[in-house]
This record gives sequence, C-alpha cells and structure tokens, in this order.
Amino acid sequence: MKLTKLTAIVMALVLCLGLFAGCSSGDAGYTADNTEFVIGVSGPLTGGAAMYGQAVKNSAQMAVDEINAAGGLNGIKFKLVAMDDMHDATKISTNYSSLLEGGMQVSLGTVTTAPGLEFKNLSADDNVFFLTPSASGDDIPTNPNGYQMCFADGNQGKVAAQFVNENLAGQTIGVFYKADEAYSKGIYDQFKANLDDSITVVETSFTDANATDFATQIDTLKDCGFIFMPTYYTPASIFMTQAKDIIAADAVYYGCDGFDGIDSIEGFDITSIPQAVTMLSHFNSKATDGKAKEFIDKYVAAYGKDTLNQFGASAYDCVYAIYGAMKKAIDEGKDIPVTISASDLCDILKEQFEGGYTFTNGVTGDSISWDKSGYVNKSAIQYVIKEAN
Amino acid sequence: MTTAINGLSLGGIYAMIALGYTMVYGIAKMLNFAHGDVIMIGGYMIYVTMATGNPLLAIAVAVLSCVILGVTIEKVAYKPLRGASPLAVLITAIGISYLLQSLAQIIFGSAAKMVTVYELGSIQFLGATVQLSALVTLGVTVVVMAALTLFVKFTRVGRAMIAVSEDRGAAQLMGINVNGIITLTFAIGSALAALAGLFYLLKAPNVSSTMGAMPGIKAFTAAVIGGIGSIPGAMLGGILLGIVESVSYKFAAIAPYTDAIEFSILIIILLVRPNGFLGKKRREKV
Amino acid sequence: MKLGKIKVKHYVNYAAIGALTLVMGIMTLAGNKFDNSTLFLMEKMSISIILAVSLSLVVGFLGELSLGHAGFMCVGAYLSGKVASLLEPTMGNGPLTLLIALLVGAGAAAACGIVIGIPALRLRGDYLAIVTLAFGEIVKSLFQNSSDETFGGSLGLSTPRYDKNYLFLYGFILVLITLFVVQNLMRSKHGRAITAIRDNEIAARATGTNVTKYKLLAFTLSAAFAGIAGVLYSYSNYTVQSMKFGYNYSIEILVMVVLGGMGNINGAIISAALITYLNTQLPTILTGDLAVLQNLLYAIILIVIVIYNNAPALKGFRDKYNFKALTRKLRKKEVDPAHVKDDEAKWDVVPTKIDMDEILSVDMTPQDPNITWKRGGDK
Repeated sequence: MKLTKLTAIVMALVLCLGLFAGCSSGDAGYTADNTEFVIGVSGPLTGGAAMYGQAVKNSAQMAVDEINAAGGLNGIKFKLVAMDDMHDATKISTNYSSLLEGGMQVSLGTVTTAPGLEFKNLSADDNVFFLTPSASGDDIPTNPNGYQMCFADGNQGKVAAQFVNENLAGQTIGVFYKADEAYSKGIYDQFKANLDDSITVVETSFTDANATDFATQIDTLKDCGFIFMPTYYTPASIFMTQAKDIIAADAVYYGCDGFDGIDSIEGFDITSIPQAVTMLSHFNSKATDGKAKEFIDKYVAAYGKDTLNQFGASAYDCVYAIYGAMKKAIDEGKDIPVTISASDLCDILKEQFEGGYTFTNGVTGDSISWDKSGYVNKSAIQYVIKEAN
Repeated sequence: MTTAINGLSLGGIYAMIALGYTMVYGIAKMLNFAHGDVIMIGGYMIYVTMATGNPLLAIAVAVLSCVILGVTIEKVAYKPLRGASPLAVLITAIGISYLLQSLAQIIFGSAAKMVTVYELGSIQFLGATVQLSALVTLGVTVVVMAALTLFVKFTRVGRAMIAVSEDRGAAQLMGINVNGIITLTFAIGSALAALAGLFYLLKAPNVSSTMGAMPGIKAFTAAVIGGIGSIPGAMLGGILLGIVESVSYKFAAIAPYTDAIEFSILIIILLVRPNGFLGKKRREKV
Repeated sequence: MKLGKIKVKHYVNYAAIGALTLVMGIMTLAGNKFDNSTLFLMEKMSISIILAVSLSLVVGFLGELSLGHAGFMCVGAYLSGKVASLLEPTMGNGPLTLLIALLVGAGAAAACGIVIGIPALRLRGDYLAIVTLAFGEIVKSLFQNSSDETFGGSLGLSTPRYDKNYLFLYGFILVLITLFVVQNLMRSKHGRAITAIRDNEIAARATGTNVTKYKLLAFTLSAAFAGIAGVLYSYSNYTVQSMKFGYNYSIEILVMVVLGGMGNINGAIISAALITYLNTQLPTILTGDLAVLQNLLYAIILIVIVIYNNAPALKGFRDKYNFKALTRKLRKKEVDPAHVKDDEAKWDVVPTKIDMDEILSVDMTPQDPNITWKRGGDK
C-alpha cells in the first residue's frame, strides 16, 4: 500500500458518509412535509417467502387505491411504501429507519414473524402504531403499539388441539411440522401443550426449506388416520402428492391458515389426493360469496391468482381497519392533520383499538376486534377444502 | 426396510449431483458452486416444456439447455480465470450461482411451480411400499456411473480427461486439447445436473429458484466423503448420505439435527481419511 | 513518507477511524442525536469491518479459505446475548455488562476456532473450505433447534439492545482494537511467518517455521474477532436469529475481503464499509417490483470485478490502466530502498520490514540474469 493519501481520503469519505446524513430533525420533523398519510410495511418481496410479501404489498395497495378513489380520509389521500426485507431480521433496522425518516405515520409492521420480532421493539421505542396482517408469532403484539390481524400461532394450536380433544379422544394422531420454523413450531408447541393425555402423538419433522423428499416422514405417519400439519402449503402439497398411496385413503389432513391456497397451486391437482383436507383459517381463497369473493375477484383481476392468499386478504383488512379507526377518531373530535407525527397518531389509534374499536364487514371476518394485549378476536372458520374420495 | 429404500433413492439423487461435482473438480480442479443451480434451471426447463405435454421432449430440452448453459458459464466465467488463483474462480462460481437464482426469480416469479412429469405410483416389495421413482432414480444413477467409469477408462477422450486431471501442462504438450476436454467435462456435468433435476421432479413435482442450493452443498459433501475426483466415490458418498438422512429423519428426537449430523460425519471423515473413502492420495510437491 | 521511525501509512486507517470516532463521540456527548438510519449504518459498518479484517487474516494472509466465518460470529452472538440477558436484571445494561459479554463472546468463538483449527492443520484448500462451511451449518442448526429456555430455538434469542445513541462508538473502538491487533501481528515476525505459510507451506516448514502454531494462531484470532463482531451484533439487535448466520453470510464477508484485495487490510475496510452502505441504500432505491434486481446487480458486479482483477489475459490491460498507474503523477516518487545507492543509504533508517510480495515475485532460478537481491544495505 503506497497510496497513503488516497487511501486516507477514500476512507474518510466512506466513513463520513453518515455525517452528511446529518443530525436528527426530531421525531416530528420527518412527517412535516407529508401531503398524504404514509403507511409503511416491510416484507419479503424477493427470496423464498416473496409470494407472501407480494400478496401483502398488492392487497394493501389495492385497499389504498380504493380509499383514495373514494376521496381518502376527509380529502387526504393515503400512500403505501413497501420495503423488501427478504424475510431477514437484520434488514429491519434499515427498513424501519428509512420508512420512519421517509415520513411513515402508521405501519402494517412486517409480513413475517422473524423480522417482526425486531420491528416490534424498534417501533415501540419511537411509539409507531402497527397492525400486522400476517406476522403471527405470539410475541409480536406484546408491546402497547402492536396489533395483529391474523390469529397468533399459539391460538391456532390451541383451537386445533380443542378440535382433536373433542373428536379424536383416545386415538393416535400424526403431526408433520417444520422444526426450525417459528410459525410451524409455534403452532405445534401450543397444540401439544393443550392436547389431552388420552391422545397419542406420532410426530415427524423436516428442516430444509427446499425439502422435496418426505418419504421417511410419510413412512413414519403411514398408520395415522388424522394428520395435523401446521406448515405452509408448499411442503404440505408435496407431502400429499408423495403420500397418495401410502397414507390410508380415508385419512384427514388438518392444517392451519398456512394451508390457504393449497387448492390453487399450479400443477397440483388436489382432487387427485384421495384423503380429506381441512384447514382452520380466517380466509378461504376459494370463497364463493360475501366480502371474500369480492376481494378475490378484484385481486385476481389486478394481479392474477399467483399470489392470492390469506396474507393479502389480511393486509387488505388492515388498511381498512386503520382507515376506519382514524375516521372514527376524527368523528369523535380528534384532530388528525396530514403532517401528524407517527407518535401522536399512535396514541390516537391505541386509544381507539384499546377502547373497543370493532372493524366490521372485513374480508377475513365479519366482526373483528382486539383484546388489550393486541391479539385479534374474530371467529376461526374450519374450511373443508376437500372431502375424502 | 422402507427407510433403507428411501435412503437409497435420495442417495441416488445426491450421487447424480455429486458425479457432476466430482467430474468437474477432478478435471477442471475447481469447485463449481453453481452446479446446484444448474439443477434448478433444468427443473424450470422441464416445467416450461411440459406445457407441450410431452415428457420425453421436456427431458431432452432440459438436458440440452443445461449443457448449453454449463458450457456457456464455463466459457464466459471460468475460462478467463484459468491460471488465476483458485479463490478467484470459487468466488466467480458463487457469483454465477447468485446470478442464476435471481434470474430464475425474475423470470419465473418467487412462488414454487408444480409440474408432474410422470405419474409413477408405487409397488409393494418385501412388505414395504416402494415408490417407483425411487427405483428409477437408483437404476439410472447406477447405469450412468457405470457408463461414466467405462467412458473415462476405455475411450480416447476419457483417457485424455485423466491426463488433463493428472497434469494439465503435460497433457497439453502431448497434444491434448485441454480447453476442449474441460468444456466437455462441464457439458457432461451439466447433463447430469439436468437428470438430477428430473429425478427431483419425479419425487416431488415442485420447482423453485432456490431448489438447487441445499442439494448442491449436500451433494458436494457426498462427493468429498466418497473421495472427490473419484466416480464410484461420488456414488458411495451420495448413497451413504441419503441413508443417513433417511434414518435421521426417522427418529423424531434427532430429526431436527439432520443437517448437523450429516455435516458432522463429513468433518469426522475428513479428519480420519482426508481423501474420503475412495479418493487418491496426492503428495504435495514443492 | 516517514515521521522519524514511524511510517505514516501504517497509521492512516487508525487516524481516519479514530478521527471519526472522536468527532461523532463529541457530537453525541454534546447532546446531538443522530438519525436512526445513521446510527444503525454505523453499527453495521463496524460489525462488517471487524468481520472483514478478521477474515482477511485467514483468507488474505494465511491463504486458507474459510466459509464458516458467520458460524464463529453466531457462537459469539448467542453466548454473549445469553450472558447479557442473564446479567441485565442484576447489573443493568451498561459498559461493564458489555465488557463481560465481549470477553465471553470472543472466548467462546476462539475456543471454536481452536476446534476448527485442528483440522486446519491436516487439511488444505478446498477441503478446509468445506470443513468450515460444515462447521457454520452445524452451529446454525444447533442454535436453531435449541430449546426455548436455552437459546430461544427457532424464534431466536431475545437479547438486550444497547442504547443506540452510544453503541456505534463502542463499535468504532472495537474496530480500532481489531486493527491494532491484526496490523501489529502482520507487521511482526509472526505475521511474516503466516504469509510465508501462505506462499509456500512446505518451504516455510523446511525453514523451521512452526506451521502448526501459526495456523492455529491465525485461525483462533480470526475466530475471536468474529466472535466480537457477534457480540456487537447481539447488542445492536433485539433478537439473535440463527438463520442469519448461514453460508450466505459467510460468502458476503468473503466478498468484502475479495473486493478489497486479498491481504489488503485497508481495502477490506473500504469494501466492507461500501458494501454495508450499499446494502442499506439499495433497498430504499429499488423498492417494490425492482427489489429483485438487487441480487442480480450484486451477482453481476461480483463476477465482473473478480474476472477483471484476476483474469491472466487482462493483465496487460490492468497494468496499463490501473488505479496506481493513473494516479502515479499525483504522487511524489517514493524512494525504494532497493534502489538506494550504497553511499546514499541512511543506515539508521534501513527498513527491516521487507515487502514480501516483491521478494516472492523475483524469479529465483539460478540462470536468470536479472537476479537481484532486493534488500537494502545487505551488499
């Protein structure tokens, strides 16, 4: 290294980049130039989980466009800013600070749970309200500023265990889950904890995110008549395809909201699976009536059916729920200017959500409210995706 | 019994990929990190051509396009670096791997695609249910391994490959077209990768842009366990790894640690037998 | 350029980072609050720089390829995070806890470095790369499947986050410590022994270098600093999630080292800072549908730069149009000790540090007429 001076200059430049960013303009300063209400969200727009992030981004955008077309909130329009976190928690500090400094006033949090654990603490420091459509970890809404639109994992496990306790007492059931995934393991742990002693569980798991060969797992579960599968639909569909002839034809596959979309995977014909498939969810992407049907038609027309899933439906509801709560607060005499700081808006929204605000006629539920800790109260529906052949 | 057969069939796929690794490593002396992603491209090519409904055509197109891809990668990215430090080549290979993955994601989207090539079903064998695809995989892998061994041992081109592998400079002096041989090696390796992609689809009809990454690393592990550079070694290592994986998944208590177990075996084998089971010992020259 | 016996160029990087630490430290103490994005960027940069400099010790100077650097970092992050969360209720979350966490993290990672260093004594090249890769995956898998009570399992370990207004200053101080240790090591006889192993292990052994000792030293030290980076990581996040520490992250660190120029510490620092900066800036530019282009861009840049820098066919082009050649006119001509005439040599300042690259690039075959001994004052 003989480039002494140049090295020094380049190094000083690179390391001082931050200095040019300058000093904080204060918490209120970020939103001073806003001409629209800014909703921020961070989700996996690329990488293995991208279909969930894309669904949330598209659906939230759809809701924002509809609200704006209808005149916004007392004439003020909304704007959605979506950032890519690749389902990686370490991207959150950057995304969160860019969103906040870019004028974000209210957030949809993160799409997935792992980054959400980082987001919930950062946003709590600055008092930024978030209502996540799909980060279902039990720990996500524990701070006062955080709320969930989807069911928490633990609750799904509990409901599934109740179903098994009531219907399958004394029997042996199988469980197939992804051991290193928070969603899958979170549901399974609560499921197991709430299960009656009379029920014997045969469990089998996998870890590779791209696992395509479940021969061993299928062999382990081949004598089970009821198989609980708290996984996303891709591994489940592979499992079902490979297990067609091995698992008893009258067996039941029972999944959670991760199953949604299993009947619309391109190239996977669910009717060729002899077993019955049931899921516990708040949204059915094959709905034929009501608000859900309306949403599906609009979504498919705008973005195709590739990324149509419960994540999007939930995000669509989130935007409307936030809009509704803001509207209600204004009706109650609160002043919400377009340049309101994230923290001030958070206090207003918290008051609404804690004060029994109910969001009605949503895609994922007719009547949706939240308890004190931020968990959602709505009815879980058991959808029979297909009966046994 | 079923576990054993499952292991064998999984091992067959690993062996198929490991064969590609081992050929390229043995002859071009480089770790082709992008090998796993060639499998992925093979899978997508099958997905695309299956729209015509002709499985044989799909397989042919996949093999052909993988060969073209493999040779192109070699010419564009690796050939300019021949003679440069091995680390530079390795890093380029990693770059190519990322490139293929992100290209696939841009073109085909991030959601996994399902495609069924053949419905093979299963048969009852010695009291166990055996997927036919497992038998096909295993059978084809054994045939390919035998053919490769014979090809390398008994044809002119094959022996030229051994010569290039032993001493590139001397081989050149003997009038062997070294660049041609290396290109041919990449072509063969890529064709094997396409076949591995096909076997994946036979097992599970699911294509995604990251499907090649983990099998790639595991197959490389298999190649090292068997002794890298050795064709029967790749087979042995692949089968061994497949059986270990199946057995480990069979027991709920250790199932989550399967990856850790496989990699621990690799470390132990390298400590005890640094050249793998069937690898040749090389004395380092000054 | 010299100041008495001190070579200024040896201290440029300390001065740059030290000055930055000082300025930002004074601004912080004066009550100025930086934006979150600035603070987070500084934290990430210091982590990346420590990782790149420590990996550079193994890859650049020892000449062994390690693909498990993130694994060492993972060990440091988890263990220090655990210690910090255990100590927090009684000792608070202050500098003392940070110090204990640093010692634990560095120690644990160094212990793993020794464990992996032992196979390093037997294996070389690609095999070692695979062993380190396997190590990284094993560590990741063990933490990923730990029980919720021990290391948090799949959801990750919740760790206390250090006050974001001050953590980056500790980060910079740790960067300075890393630089101090690594640079002093490399400029000592031990450092020359390590580069000798890189250039020709058998020759180094033949001349009495304790290869085993130095390999283990380099590995352990590199692991220990990766552990320190892990501690910083755990302190700059609310959760430590093992998914992060996979082989992709190890590759990212490797890319920093390679782009900076192998065995070039200042290069590693600059490229680590630059890549970290781009990592945080690109997602804000390429939002929404454009986000997929980011990886593609990285891949292409990586391939082009590596081929450009390494292709033998492009050597002539590089020599003609490289950075040094283009800036040659801007610099004062430095006196090369090899070309100082005998009577002009200043015997009191004869450099004892030999430029290894120059010596090794000399063709030593006896019939070579150009043979020259490039050592000032030996004649």
